[in-house]
Amino acid sequence: MVPITHFLYLAFALFLIGAAGVLLRRNVLIVLMSVELMLNAANIALVAFSRQWGNADGQVLAMFTIAVAAAEAAVGLAIVVSIFRARTGTDIDDLSLLRD
Amino acid sequence: MSGEELIFYLFAAIAVVSALATVSRRNPVVAAVWLVVTFFAVAVCYLLLSATFLAAIQILVYAGAMMVLFVFVIMVLDVDERGREEHRRPTRIARVGYYGSLLLAGGFIAWVLLGTLARQYLNPGADLSKTPDFGTANAIGREIFTDYLFAFEAISLLLLAAVIGAVVVARNRRDREKDSLQTGMSHAARHAAGVAELPPVPGDIAPPGPTPVTDFGAPSATGHDGGT
Repeated sequence: MVPITHFLYLAFALFLIGAAGVLLRRNVLIVLMSVELMLNAANIALVAFSRQWGNADGQVLAMFTIAVAAAEAAVGLAIVVSIFRARTGTDIDDLSLLRD
Repeated sequence: MSGEELIFYLFAAIAVVSALATVSRRNPVVAAVWLVVTFFAVAVCYLLLSATFLAAIQILVYAGAMMVLFVFVIMVLDVDERGREEHRRPTRIARVGYYGSLLLAGGFIAWVLLGTLARQYLNPGADLSKTPDFGTANAIGREIFTDYLFAFEAISLLLLAAVIGAVVVARNRRDREKDSLQTGMSHAARHAAGVAELPPVPGDIAPPGPTPVTDFGAPSATGHDGGT
């Protein structure tokens, strides 16, 4: 029996890697993939706690998270396509239109 | 160390290593295929937590639908010449690790899912975890369609909105302009939709009257050839 803390360590590690990807990478596609990684880490924690308490609510919530992640990926990639049409590039540092 | 622990630490290591590979690759296609390995390893972790239905959903939605979406967008964008050498020459270790971990995870998932199904139908009393059907599609479906019905409907609405939003955002400006003209939108509505210039201000229009005539002077013998 694997202790639940080890699943939480795995979730923590995946979340950390995803957060590092969001903060450090400049390619907007890889930033979106890192967001998916972070959502996956949250799902692992949800399912681990669900197992810990023998309660299926956590798994239902994880399924909803997957649906939200799918919607987020669809809209995010549509925005990427739209931005790429307008200014030909996926470098996230070029996108400062709303800042200045 | 029991078999379960061995499997957990093996797939946790695979998940962490492939997640690191995902965020560190230059070529987004290479990052996407490493992300698939991460998703498979996470699905194995769901199985170890006896969430068999969620493991199947993870493979279907993440490794199936979402990865195809990512790869299609990368193909459409045709970006990143920089990471091309990665694409051309994956090292032997990377290839062995990639296909090996995918095969391992896929085989394990198939084994556990088939085993779960067999145990459920051949021996209904098999104790998988605290309750017999914990984590199966049966239990999750019962939860979704009773306690979480409203949230489920809200999620379906969210998915619909995301589909419409993605289509609207990803269309190019010329198509939107054409559609707005064909459906007979007013100028103000077209401006609100971002396909027309500023709406005409009523006071700004020139008052009706005689059209101003420009006086070009007398015709010149050298300035104009008269169209012979």
